[in-house]
Amino acid sequence: MKLLLPFHLHKVGAGFPSPATDYVEDDIDLNSHLIKNIPSTFLIRVQGKSMNDIGIHDGDLLVVDRSLNPKNFSTVVANVNEELVVKTFVKEKNCSFLTSGPNKINLTENPEIFVWGVVTYTIHAL
Amino acid sequence: MLYNKNKIALVDCNSFYVSCERLFNPSINKKPVVVLSSNDGCVISRSAEAKNLGIKMGEPYFKVKKIVKENDVKIFSTNFALYGDISRRVMKTLKQFCPQMEIYSIDEAFLDLSSVKNEDLLEHCYKIKKTVLKWTGIPTSIGIGSTKTLSKAANYIAKKEKSGVIDLINSKKIDELLSKIKINDVWGVGRQLTKFYIKNGINTAYDLKKINNSWIKKNTNVFGSRTAMELRGFSCASLKPYEEKRKNCCVSRSFGRKVTKLEELSESVTTHCLNAAEKIRLDKQTVKKITVFIRTSPFQMKNNYYANSKDIDLPIRTNDSIELVKQALSALKCIYRQGYKYQKAGIILSGLNDVDVYKKNLFSSINNEEKRTRLMKAIDYTNIKYGRHALSIAQAGLRKKWNIKRQYSSKIDTACMNLLPVAKIS
Repeated sequence: MKLLLPFHLHKVGAGFPSPATDYVEDDIDLNSHLIKNIPSTFLIRVQGKSMNDIGIHDGDLLVVDRSLNPKNFSTVVANVNEELVVKTFVKEKNCSFLTSGPNKINLTENPEIFVWGVVTYTIHAL
Repeated sequence: MLYNKNKIALVDCNSFYVSCERLFNPSINKKPVVVLSSNDGCVISRSAEAKNLGIKMGEPYFKVKKIVKENDVKIFSTNFALYGDISRRVMKTLKQFCPQMEIYSIDEAFLDLSSVKNEDLLEHCYKIKKTVLKWTGIPTSIGIGSTKTLSKAANYIAKKEKSGVIDLINSKKIDELLSKIKINDVWGVGRQLTKFYIKNGINTAYDLKKINNSWIKKNTNVFGSRTAMELRGFSCASLKPYEEKRKNCCVSRSFGRKVTKLEELSESVTTHCLNAAEKIRLDKQTVKKITVFIRTSPFQMKNNYYANSKDIDLPIRTNDSIELVKQALSALKCIYRQGYKYQKAGIILSGLNDVDVYKKNLFSSINNEEKRTRLMKAIDYTNIKYGRHALSIAQAGLRKKWNIKRQYSSKIDTACMNLLPVAKIS
Protein backbone atom coordinates (compact mmCIF):
# COMPACT_ATOMS: atom_id res chain seq x y z
CA MET A 1 0.00 0.00 0.00
CA LYS A 2 2.32 2.70 -1.18
CA LEU A 3 1.04 5.54 -3.27
CA LEU A 4 3.00 8.70 -3.89
CA LEU A 5 1.48 11.59 -5.75
CA PRO A 6 4.16 13.80 -7.28
CA PHE A 7 3.46 17.20 -5.82
CA HIS A 8 6.07 19.22 -7.61
CA LEU A 9 8.72 18.25 -10.09
CA HIS A 10 10.98 20.44 -12.07
CA LYS A 11 14.15 20.22 -14.01
CA VAL A 12 16.58 23.06 -14.40
CA GLY A 13 17.60 23.39 -17.97
CA ALA A 14 19.03 26.42 -19.63
CA GLY A 15 17.25 29.64 -18.86
CA PHE A 16 15.80 31.14 -15.77
CA PRO A 17 15.82 28.78 -12.77
CA SER A 18 12.45 28.07 -11.24
CA PRO A 19 11.71 30.61 -8.52
CA ALA A 20 9.66 27.94 -6.72
CA THR A 21 12.62 25.67 -5.98
CA ASP A 22 12.90 26.86 -2.40
CA TYR A 23 9.27 26.04 -1.77
CA VAL A 24 9.31 22.44 -2.92
CA GLU A 25 7.97 20.24 -0.18
CA ASP A 26 8.06 16.49 -0.08
CA ASP A 27 5.54 14.47 -2.11
CA ILE A 28 2.08 14.16 -0.63
CA ASP A 29 1.66 10.70 0.71
CA LEU A 30 -2.03 9.96 1.25
CA ASN A 31 -1.16 6.81 3.17
CA SER A 32 0.69 8.69 5.86
CA HIS A 33 -2.18 11.14 6.07
CA LEU A 34 -4.95 8.54 6.28
CA ILE A 35 -3.09 5.86 8.22
CA LYS A 36 -1.64 6.89 11.56
CA ASN A 37 -0.85 3.43 12.86
CA ILE A 38 0.12 1.05 10.06
CA PRO A 39 -0.03 -2.37 11.77
CA SER A 40 -3.44 -1.73 13.33
CA THR A 41 -5.16 -0.04 10.36
CA PHE A 42 -7.28 -2.05 7.92
CA LEU A 43 -9.21 -1.09 4.80
CA ILE A 44 -12.72 -2.50 4.84
CA ARG A 45 -15.32 -2.40 2.09
CA VAL A 46 -18.89 -1.32 2.91
CA GLN A 47 -21.69 -3.57 1.74
CA GLY A 48 -25.43 -3.07 1.87
CA LYS A 49 -27.48 0.04 2.50
CA SER A 50 -26.07 3.48 3.17
CA MET A 51 -25.73 5.46 6.37
CA ASN A 52 -26.63 8.78 4.76
CA ASP A 53 -26.57 10.69 8.03
CA ILE A 54 -22.85 10.07 8.43
CA GLY A 55 -22.04 9.87 4.73
CA ILE A 56 -21.17 6.19 4.32
CA HIS A 57 -22.45 4.45 1.19
CA ASP A 58 -22.52 1.00 -0.33
CA GLY A 59 -19.11 0.19 -1.85
CA ASP A 60 -17.17 2.83 0.09
CA LEU A 61 -13.80 2.09 1.63
CA LEU A 62 -13.45 2.49 5.36
CA VAL A 63 -10.12 3.19 7.04
CA VAL A 64 -10.43 1.33 10.34
CA ASP A 65 -7.93 1.67 13.18
CA ARG A 66 -8.11 -1.11 15.77
CA SER A 67 -5.70 0.59 18.17
CA LEU A 68 -8.13 3.43 18.97
CA ASN A 69 -10.77 3.37 21.68
CA PRO A 70 -14.17 4.62 20.51
CA LYS A 71 -15.38 7.98 21.78
CA ASN A 72 -18.97 9.15 22.02
CA PHE A 73 -20.47 9.14 18.50
CA SER A 74 -17.49 7.39 16.92
CA THR A 75 -18.34 5.41 13.80
CA VAL A 76 -17.18 1.86 14.43
CA VAL A 77 -16.99 -1.57 12.87
CA ALA A 78 -18.45 -4.04 15.33
CA ASN A 79 -19.02 -7.74 15.65
CA VAL A 80 -22.80 -8.12 15.86
CA ASN A 81 -24.57 -11.47 15.40
CA GLU A 82 -21.50 -13.12 13.88
CA GLU A 83 -21.01 -10.40 11.27
CA LEU A 84 -18.89 -7.29 10.94
CA VAL A 85 -21.22 -4.30 10.71
CA VAL A 86 -20.91 -0.50 10.72
CA LYS A 87 -22.51 1.23 13.72
CA THR A 88 -22.36 4.42 15.74
CA PHE A 89 -20.94 4.16 19.25
CA VAL A 90 -22.88 6.08 21.87
CA LYS A 91 -22.17 6.59 25.57
CA GLU A 92 -24.98 7.34 27.98
CA LYS A 93 -24.32 7.56 31.70
CA ASN A 94 -22.52 4.31 32.55
CA CYS A 95 -23.67 2.36 29.49
CA SER A 96 -22.33 2.07 25.95
CA PHE A 97 -24.58 1.44 22.96
CA LEU A 98 -24.27 0.70 19.26
CA THR A 99 -26.84 2.43 17.10
CA SER A 100 -27.86 2.57 13.47
CA GLY A 101 -31.11 4.39 12.79
CA PRO A 102 -33.63 3.59 15.51
CA ASN A 103 -31.94 0.34 16.59
CA LYS A 104 -29.97 0.40 19.81
CA ILE A 105 -27.82 -2.39 21.23
CA ASN A 106 -26.66 -2.23 24.83
CA LEU A 107 -23.01 -3.33 24.91
CA THR A 108 -22.96 -3.91 28.65
CA GLU A 109 -25.88 -6.33 28.42
CA ASN A 110 -24.49 -8.17 25.36
CA PRO A 111 -20.88 -9.08 26.08
CA GLU A 112 -20.64 -11.18 22.89
CA ILE A 113 -21.03 -7.99 20.86
CA PHE A 114 -17.86 -5.92 20.71
CA VAL A 115 -16.22 -3.08 18.83
CA TRP A 116 -13.78 -4.39 16.18
CA GLY A 117 -12.19 -1.06 15.26
CA VAL A 118 -12.82 2.66 14.93
CA VAL A 119 -13.52 4.15 11.49
CA THR A 120 -11.21 7.12 10.94
CA TYR A 121 -11.93 7.96 7.29
CA THR A 122 -14.31 6.91 4.58
CA ILE A 123 -13.23 6.96 0.95
CA HIS A 124 -16.09 7.49 -1.45
CA ALA A 125 -15.82 7.48 -5.23
CA LEU A 126 -17.93 10.14 -6.96
CA MET B 1 29.68 -19.52 25.43
CA LEU B 2 29.21 -17.12 28.26
CA TYR B 3 26.97 -17.16 31.22
CA ASN B 4 24.62 -14.38 30.42
CA LYS B 5 22.01 -12.10 31.85
CA ASN B 6 20.02 -12.27 28.64
CA LYS B 7 16.27 -12.04 28.77
CA ILE B 8 14.65 -13.50 25.71
CA ALA B 9 10.93 -13.69 25.04
CA LEU B 10 9.42 -15.93 22.41
CA VAL B 11 6.11 -14.58 21.15
CA ASP B 12 4.07 -17.22 19.35
CA CYS B 13 0.67 -16.61 17.76
CA ASN B 14 -1.99 -19.08 18.93
CA SER B 15 -3.41 -21.22 16.09
CA PHE B 16 -2.20 -18.49 13.77
CA TYR B 17 -3.94 -19.42 10.51
CA VAL B 18 -7.22 -20.09 12.30
CA SER B 19 -6.90 -16.77 14.17
CA CYS B 20 -6.40 -14.96 10.84
CA GLU B 21 -9.55 -16.57 9.42
CA ARG B 22 -11.51 -15.61 12.55
CA LEU B 23 -10.44 -11.99 12.36
CA PHE B 24 -12.91 -11.15 9.56
CA ASN B 25 -15.35 -13.97 10.15
CA PRO B 26 -16.81 -13.70 13.66
CA SER B 27 -19.24 -16.52 12.89
CA ILE B 28 -16.47 -19.06 13.48
CA ASN B 29 -15.42 -17.71 16.88
CA LYS B 30 -15.67 -20.36 19.59
CA LYS B 31 -16.33 -23.07 17.00
CA PRO B 32 -13.97 -25.86 15.97
CA VAL B 33 -11.97 -24.64 12.95
CA VAL B 34 -9.14 -26.21 10.94
CA VAL B 35 -7.01 -24.94 8.06
CA LEU B 36 -5.85 -27.44 5.43
CA SER B 37 -2.54 -27.43 3.55
CA SER B 38 -2.33 -26.87 -0.23
CA ASN B 39 -4.74 -29.01 -2.20
CA ASP B 40 -6.72 -29.39 0.99
CA GLY B 41 -4.47 -32.28 1.98
CA CYS B 42 -3.54 -32.14 5.67
CA VAL B 43 -4.57 -30.25 8.79
CA ILE B 44 -2.00 -27.50 9.42
CA SER B 45 -3.76 -25.27 11.93
CA ARG B 46 -6.41 -26.07 14.53
CA SER B 47 -8.48 -23.98 16.89
CA ALA B 48 -8.49 -25.05 20.55
CA GLU B 49 -11.99 -26.48 20.01
CA ALA B 50 -10.71 -28.62 17.12
CA LYS B 51 -7.77 -29.85 19.21
CA ASN B 52 -10.23 -30.92 21.90
CA LEU B 53 -12.08 -33.04 19.35
CA GLY B 54 -8.89 -35.03 18.89
CA ILE B 55 -7.92 -33.69 15.47
CA LYS B 56 -4.14 -34.05 15.22
CA MET B 57 -1.67 -31.71 13.56
CA GLY B 58 -0.64 -32.87 10.10
CA GLU B 59 -3.39 -35.46 9.79
CA PRO B 60 -4.69 -36.00 6.24
CA TYR B 61 -8.12 -34.48 5.71
CA PHE B 62 -9.74 -37.76 4.65
CA LYS B 63 -8.87 -39.28 8.03
CA VAL B 64 -10.67 -36.57 10.01
CA LYS B 65 -13.64 -36.17 7.68
CA LYS B 66 -15.88 -38.12 10.01
CA ILE B 67 -15.07 -35.93 13.04
CA VAL B 68 -15.52 -32.87 10.84
CA LYS B 69 -19.01 -33.94 9.76
CA GLU B 70 -20.22 -35.04 13.15
CA ASN B 71 -19.07 -31.88 14.93
CA ASP B 72 -19.66 -29.29 12.21
CA VAL B 73 -15.99 -28.35 12.14
CA LYS B 74 -15.37 -25.33 9.89
CA ILE B 75 -12.83 -26.07 7.16
CA PHE B 76 -10.58 -23.54 5.42
CA SER B 77 -8.03 -23.82 2.62
CA THR B 78 -4.84 -21.82 3.10
CA ASN B 79 -4.93 -18.13 2.29
CA PHE B 80 -1.27 -17.18 2.54
CA ALA B 81 -1.81 -13.70 1.13
CA LEU B 82 -3.92 -12.93 4.22
CA TYR B 83 -1.67 -14.77 6.70
CA GLY B 84 1.39 -12.97 5.30
CA ASP B 85 -0.16 -9.53 5.72
CA ILE B 86 -1.41 -10.24 9.26
CA SER B 87 2.02 -11.67 10.14
CA ARG B 88 3.72 -8.46 8.98
CA ARG B 89 1.32 -6.47 11.16
CA VAL B 90 2.06 -8.63 14.22
CA MET B 91 5.82 -8.29 13.66
CA LYS B 92 5.58 -4.51 13.17
CA THR B 93 3.63 -4.23 16.42
CA LEU B 94 6.26 -6.29 18.27
CA LYS B 95 9.03 -4.17 16.81
CA GLN B 96 7.56 -1.09 18.49
CA PHE B 97 8.13 -2.76 21.85
CA CYS B 98 11.48 -4.24 21.02
CA PRO B 99 13.64 -3.16 18.11
CA GLN B 100 16.01 -6.05 18.85
CA MET B 101 14.01 -8.95 17.52
CA GLU B 102 14.35 -11.99 15.31
CA ILE B 103 11.43 -13.04 13.16
CA TYR B 104 11.68 -16.79 13.50
CA SER B 105 8.71 -17.88 11.39
CA ILE B 106 5.43 -16.55 10.04
CA ASP B 107 3.94 -16.64 13.55
CA GLU B 108 6.90 -16.54 15.97
CA ALA B 109 9.48 -13.97 17.00
CA PHE B 110 12.26 -13.81 19.60
CA LEU B 111 12.48 -10.48 21.45
CA ASP B 112 15.55 -9.31 23.33
CA LEU B 113 14.19 -7.91 26.60
CA SER B 114 17.56 -7.60 28.37
CA SER B 115 16.92 -3.93 29.05
CA VAL B 116 13.72 -4.66 30.99
CA LYS B 117 14.07 -5.01 34.76
CA ASN B 118 13.49 -8.51 36.11
CA GLU B 119 10.54 -7.48 38.22
CA ASP B 120 8.88 -5.76 35.23
CA LEU B 121 9.26 -8.67 32.79
CA LEU B 122 5.84 -10.23 33.32
CA GLU B 123 3.99 -6.93 33.25
CA HIS B 124 5.85 -5.92 30.10
CA CYS B 125 4.92 -9.14 28.32
CA TYR B 126 1.26 -8.87 29.34
CA LYS B 127 1.30 -5.44 27.75
CA ILE B 128 2.83 -6.83 24.54
CA LYS B 129 0.24 -9.59 24.43
CA LYS B 130 -2.62 -7.17 25.02
CA THR B 131 -1.43 -4.71 22.39
CA VAL B 132 -0.91 -7.35 19.69
CA LEU B 133 -4.44 -8.64 20.36
CA LYS B 134 -5.99 -5.19 20.21
CA TRP B 135 -4.09 -3.92 17.18
CA THR B 136 -4.07 -7.02 15.01
CA GLY B 137 -6.72 -9.25 16.58
CA ILE B 138 -4.26 -12.11 16.99
CA PRO B 139 -3.95 -13.92 20.35
CA THR B 140 -0.40 -14.85 21.40
CA SER B 141 1.49 -16.77 24.06
CA ILE B 142 4.79 -15.52 25.45
CA GLY B 143 7.60 -17.47 27.06
CA ILE B 144 10.51 -15.75 28.79
CA GLY B 145 13.87 -17.39 29.44
CA SER B 146 17.57 -16.58 29.61
CA THR B 147 18.25 -18.46 26.34
CA LYS B 148 16.32 -19.10 23.15
CA THR B 149 15.76 -22.76 24.07
CA LEU B 150 14.44 -21.80 27.52
CA SER B 151 12.14 -19.16 26.03
CA LYS B 152 10.80 -21.84 23.67
CA ALA B 153 10.24 -24.16 26.62
CA ALA B 154 8.53 -21.35 28.55
CA ASN B 155 6.31 -20.70 25.57
CA TYR B 156 5.37 -24.35 25.38
CA ILE B 157 4.10 -24.13 28.96
CA ALA B 158 2.51 -20.70 28.39
CA LYS B 159 0.35 -22.17 25.61
CA LYS B 160 -1.33 -24.40 28.19
CA GLU B 161 -1.79 -21.68 30.80
CA LYS B 162 -4.75 -19.35 30.88
CA SER B 163 -2.53 -16.32 31.43
CA GLY B 164 -0.58 -17.08 28.26
CA VAL B 165 2.68 -15.72 29.70
CA ILE B 166 5.35 -17.73 31.54
CA ASP B 167 8.56 -16.30 32.95
CA LEU B 168 11.26 -18.88 33.65
CA ILE B 169 13.84 -16.27 34.64
CA ASN B 170 12.18 -15.33 37.93
CA SER B 171 10.67 -18.75 38.47
CA LYS B 172 11.75 -20.89 41.40
CA LYS B 173 10.02 -23.88 39.86
CA ILE B 174 12.03 -23.94 36.65
CA ASP B 175 13.18 -27.56 37.08
CA GLU B 176 9.70 -28.67 38.01
CA LEU B 177 8.35 -27.04 34.86
CA LEU B 178 11.11 -28.46 32.65
CA SER B 179 10.35 -31.96 33.89
CA LYS B 180 6.83 -31.57 32.50
CA ILE B 181 8.14 -31.05 28.96
CA LYS B 182 8.63 -34.24 26.99
CA ILE B 183 12.00 -34.57 25.29
CA ASN B 184 10.48 -34.51 21.78
CA ASP B 185 8.87 -31.14 22.55
CA VAL B 186 12.25 -29.53 23.29
CA TRP B 187 13.38 -27.07 20.63
CA GLY B 188 16.04 -28.60 18.41
CA VAL B 189 15.38 -32.23 19.36
CA GLY B 190 14.24 -34.06 16.23
CA ARG B 191 12.78 -37.49 15.71
CA GLN B 192 16.06 -39.40 15.55
CA LEU B 193 17.53 -37.68 18.58
CA THR B 194 14.31 -38.30 20.52
CA LYS B 195 14.59 -42.05 19.91
CA PHE B 196 18.20 -42.01 21.03
CA TYR B 197 17.52 -39.98 24.18
CA ILE B 198 14.54 -42.10 25.23
CA LYS B 199 16.61 -45.24 24.78
CA ASN B 200 19.09 -43.72 27.22
CA GLY B 201 16.48 -42.74 29.78
CA ILE B 202 16.28 -39.06 28.91
CA ASN B 203 12.54 -38.44 28.79
CA THR B 204 12.08 -34.77 29.65
CA ALA B 205 13.73 -31.39 29.19
CA TYR B 206 14.84 -31.61 32.81
CA ASP B 207 16.57 -34.98 32.19
CA LEU B 208 18.54 -33.42 29.34
CA LYS B 209 19.48 -30.43 31.46
CA LYS B 210 20.87 -32.69 34.19
CA ILE B 211 22.78 -35.11 31.99
CA ASN B 212 26.55 -35.24 32.11
CA ASN B 213 28.10 -32.86 29.60
CA SER B 214 30.85 -35.16 28.39
CA TRP B 215 28.31 -37.90 27.78
CA ILE B 216 26.32 -35.62 25.46
CA LYS B 217 29.45 -34.46 23.68
CA LYS B 218 30.51 -38.04 23.14
CA ASN B 219 27.15 -39.39 22.04
CA THR B 220 25.45 -36.63 20.07
CA ASN B 221 26.50 -33.89 17.71
CA VAL B 222 27.23 -30.26 18.44
CA PHE B 223 23.52 -29.39 18.32
CA GLY B 224 22.77 -31.90 21.06
CA SER B 225 25.20 -30.34 23.51
CA ARG B 226 24.05 -26.86 22.50
CA THR B 227 20.49 -27.67 23.46
CA ALA B 228 21.61 -29.06 26.82
CA MET B 229 23.77 -26.00 27.50
CA GLU B 230 20.92 -23.68 26.60
CA LEU B 231 18.59 -25.51 28.98
CA ARG B 232 21.13 -24.79 31.73
CA GLY B 233 21.03 -21.10 30.88
CA PHE B 234 24.19 -20.79 28.79
CA SER B 235 23.41 -19.00 25.57
CA CYS B 236 24.66 -20.77 22.44
CA ALA B 237 22.38 -19.22 19.85
CA SER B 238 22.18 -15.47 19.59
CA LEU B 239 19.36 -13.42 18.16
CA LYS B 240 19.57 -12.85 14.43
CA PRO B 241 17.98 -9.46 13.87
CA TYR B 242 18.77 -9.38 10.18
CA GLU B 243 17.52 -11.80 7.64
CA GLU B 244 20.31 -13.79 6.16
CA LYS B 245 20.39 -14.12 2.44
CA ARG B 246 19.10 -17.46 1.31
CA LYS B 247 21.44 -20.11 -0.02
CA ASN B 248 18.73 -22.10 -1.78
CA CYS B 249 15.42 -21.28 -3.31
CA CYS B 250 12.80 -24.00 -3.70
CA VAL B 251 9.47 -23.58 -5.43
CA SER B 252 7.14 -26.54 -5.66
CA ARG B 253 3.42 -27.16 -5.68
CA SER B 254 1.12 -30.10 -5.52
CA PHE B 255 -1.26 -30.29 -8.45
CA GLY B 256 -4.97 -29.72 -8.01
CA ARG B 257 -5.57 -32.96 -9.88
CA LYS B 258 -3.30 -35.72 -11.08
CA VAL B 259 -1.19 -34.73 -14.08
CA THR B 260 0.06 -37.23 -16.65
CA LYS B 261 1.21 -35.25 -19.69
CA LEU B 262 4.70 -33.84 -20.21
CA GLU B 263 3.21 -30.58 -21.54
CA GLU B 264 1.37 -29.92 -18.31
CA LEU B 265 4.39 -30.78 -16.18
CA SER B 266 6.43 -28.43 -18.38
CA GLU B 267 3.97 -25.62 -17.78
CA SER B 268 4.21 -26.06 -14.04
CA VAL B 269 8.01 -26.38 -13.99
CA THR B 270 8.25 -23.25 -16.14
CA THR B 271 6.00 -21.30 -13.79
CA HIS B 272 8.03 -22.41 -10.75
CA CYS B 273 11.22 -21.39 -12.54
CA LEU B 274 9.86 -17.94 -13.28
CA ASN B 275 8.75 -17.50 -9.65
CA ALA B 276 12.12 -18.61 -8.31
CA ALA B 277 14.06 -16.50 -10.80
CA GLU B 278 12.03 -13.45 -9.85
CA LYS B 279 12.73 -14.09 -6.16
CA ILE B 280 16.49 -14.37 -6.60
CA ARG B 281 16.63 -11.33 -8.89
CA LEU B 282 14.83 -9.37 -6.18
CA ASP B 283 17.62 -10.38 -3.78
CA LYS B 284 20.24 -9.62 -6.46
CA GLN B 285 21.47 -13.19 -6.52
CA THR B 286 22.58 -15.62 -9.20
CA VAL B 287 22.40 -19.39 -9.26
CA LYS B 288 24.90 -22.14 -9.98
CA LYS B 289 22.78 -25.29 -9.96
CA ILE B 290 19.19 -26.09 -10.75
CA THR B 291 17.34 -29.22 -9.62
CA VAL B 292 14.03 -30.38 -11.05
CA PHE B 293 11.93 -32.97 -9.23
CA ILE B 294 8.64 -34.72 -9.90
CA ARG B 295 6.74 -37.37 -8.00
CA THR B 296 3.46 -39.23 -7.80
CA SER B 297 1.40 -39.38 -4.62
CA PRO B 298 3.19 -41.25 -1.80
CA PHE B 299 -0.14 -42.90 -1.00
CA GLN B 300 0.19 -44.81 -4.28
CA MET B 301 3.23 -46.61 -2.98
CA LYS B 302 2.03 -50.10 -3.88
CA ASN B 303 1.33 -50.03 -7.57
CA ASN B 304 2.42 -46.89 -9.23
CA TYR B 305 4.90 -44.80 -7.30
CA TYR B 306 7.55 -42.84 -9.15
CA ALA B 307 9.82 -40.07 -7.97
CA ASN B 308 12.91 -38.67 -9.59
CA SER B 309 15.05 -35.58 -9.75
CA LYS B 310 17.85 -34.22 -11.84
CA ASP B 311 20.52 -31.62 -11.15
CA ILE B 312 21.99 -29.43 -13.83
CA ASP B 313 25.16 -27.46 -13.19
CA LEU B 314 24.86 -24.26 -15.12
CA PRO B 315 27.79 -23.30 -17.33
CA ILE B 316 27.52 -19.67 -16.20
CA ARG B 317 25.98 -18.24 -13.01
CA THR B 318 22.73 -16.61 -13.97
CA ASN B 319 19.35 -15.31 -12.86
CA ASP B 320 17.94 -15.14 -16.34
CA SER B 321 14.42 -16.62 -16.45
CA ILE B 322 14.70 -17.77 -20.05
CA GLU B 323 17.99 -19.56 -19.51
CA LEU B 324 16.74 -21.22 -16.32
CA VAL B 325 13.53 -22.41 -17.96
CA LYS B 326 15.50 -23.87 -20.86
CA GLN B 327 17.72 -25.86 -18.49
CA ALA B 328 14.86 -26.96 -16.27
CA LEU B 329 12.80 -28.24 -19.18
CA SER B 330 15.69 -30.28 -20.52
CA ALA B 331 16.12 -31.80 -17.04
CA LEU B 332 12.40 -32.52 -16.86
CA LYS B 333 12.52 -34.39 -20.17
CA CYS B 334 15.23 -36.66 -18.76
CA ILE B 335 13.21 -37.72 -15.73
CA TYR B 336 9.70 -37.74 -17.17
CA ARG B 337 8.17 -41.21 -17.60
CA GLN B 338 4.90 -41.87 -19.30
CA GLY B 339 2.06 -43.67 -17.55
CA TYR B 340 2.33 -42.12 -14.10
CA LYS B 341 -0.12 -39.82 -12.35
CA TYR B 342 2.07 -37.02 -11.07
CA GLN B 343 1.09 -35.19 -7.91
CA LYS B 344 3.91 -32.72 -7.43
CA ALA B 345 6.63 -30.93 -9.36
CA GLY B 346 9.19 -28.42 -8.23
CA ILE B 347 12.55 -26.82 -8.76
CA ILE B 348 15.40 -25.95 -6.44
CA LEU B 349 17.94 -23.26 -7.23
CA SER B 350 21.09 -23.84 -5.20
CA GLY B 351 24.53 -22.32 -4.78
CA LEU B 352 23.03 -18.84 -4.68
CA ASN B 353 25.45 -15.96 -4.60
CA ASP B 354 25.41 -12.21 -4.96
CA VAL B 355 25.27 -10.79 -8.45
CA ASP B 356 28.59 -8.96 -8.16
CA VAL B 357 30.35 -12.33 -8.06
CA TYR B 358 28.91 -12.79 -11.52
CA LYS B 359 31.93 -13.63 -13.63
CA LYS B 360 31.82 -12.68 -17.24
CA ASN B 361 32.11 -15.88 -19.15
CA LEU B 362 34.68 -16.10 -21.88
CA PHE B 363 32.17 -17.51 -24.31
CA SER B 364 29.16 -15.35 -23.62
CA SER B 365 28.62 -12.35 -25.76
CA ILE B 366 28.53 -9.34 -23.46
CA ASN B 367 26.16 -7.49 -25.67
CA ASN B 368 23.58 -10.22 -25.44
CA GLU B 369 23.96 -10.43 -21.68
CA GLU B 370 23.20 -6.78 -21.17
CA LYS B 371 20.13 -7.09 -23.34
CA ARG B 372 18.95 -10.02 -21.26
CA THR B 373 19.51 -8.16 -17.99
CA ARG B 374 17.43 -5.30 -19.30
CA LEU B 375 14.71 -7.70 -20.42
CA MET B 376 14.56 -9.29 -16.96
CA LYS B 377 14.34 -5.87 -15.34
CA ALA B 378 11.45 -4.99 -17.65
CA ILE B 379 9.65 -8.24 -16.81
CA ASP B 380 10.03 -7.73 -13.06
CA TYR B 381 8.92 -4.12 -13.27
CA THR B 382 5.83 -5.02 -15.29
CA ASN B 383 4.89 -7.84 -12.95
CA ILE B 384 5.27 -5.72 -9.84
CA LYS B 385 3.19 -2.97 -11.40
CA TYR B 386 0.48 -5.01 -13.11
CA GLY B 387 0.38 -8.08 -10.89
CA ARG B 388 1.99 -11.46 -10.80
CA HIS B 389 2.29 -13.18 -14.18
CA ALA B 390 1.18 -10.14 -16.20
CA LEU B 391 4.24 -10.79 -18.32
CA SER B 392 5.43 -14.34 -18.60
CA ILE B 393 6.91 -16.65 -21.16
CA ALA B 394 4.74 -18.78 -23.37
CA GLN B 395 5.87 -22.15 -21.97
CA ALA B 396 4.23 -21.30 -18.63
CA GLY B 397 0.85 -21.79 -20.29
CA LEU B 398 -2.22 -19.66 -19.83
CA ARG B 399 -4.88 -21.97 -18.48
CA LYS B 400 -2.85 -23.74 -15.82
CA LYS B 401 -5.33 -26.58 -15.28
CA TRP B 402 -2.86 -28.18 -12.88
CA ASN B 403 -3.00 -25.30 -10.42
CA ILE B 404 -3.67 -26.02 -6.76
CA LYS B 405 -7.11 -26.64 -5.44
CA ARG B 406 -8.25 -24.40 -2.62
CA GLN B 407 -11.96 -24.89 -2.56
CA TYR B 408 -12.53 -23.70 1.02
CA SER B 409 -10.49 -20.50 0.79
CA SER B 410 -11.83 -17.40 2.54
CA LYS B 411 -10.64 -15.30 -0.43
CA ILE B 412 -9.94 -12.28 1.76
CA ASP B 413 -6.73 -10.31 1.33
CA THR B 414 -6.14 -7.29 3.54
CA ALA B 415 -3.42 -6.11 1.17
CA CYS B 416 -5.38 -6.36 -2.09
CA MET B 417 -8.02 -3.79 -3.12
CA ASN B 418 -10.24 -6.35 -4.85
CA LEU B 419 -10.34 -8.81 -1.97
CA LEU B 420 -10.77 -6.56 1.06
CA PRO B 421 -12.85 -7.73 4.02
CA VAL B 422 -16.42 -6.48 4.16
CA ALA B 423 -18.53 -4.77 6.83
CA LYS B 424 -22.29 -4.57 6.41
CA ILE B 425 -24.76 -1.82 7.09
CA SER B 426 -28.06 -3.20 8.29
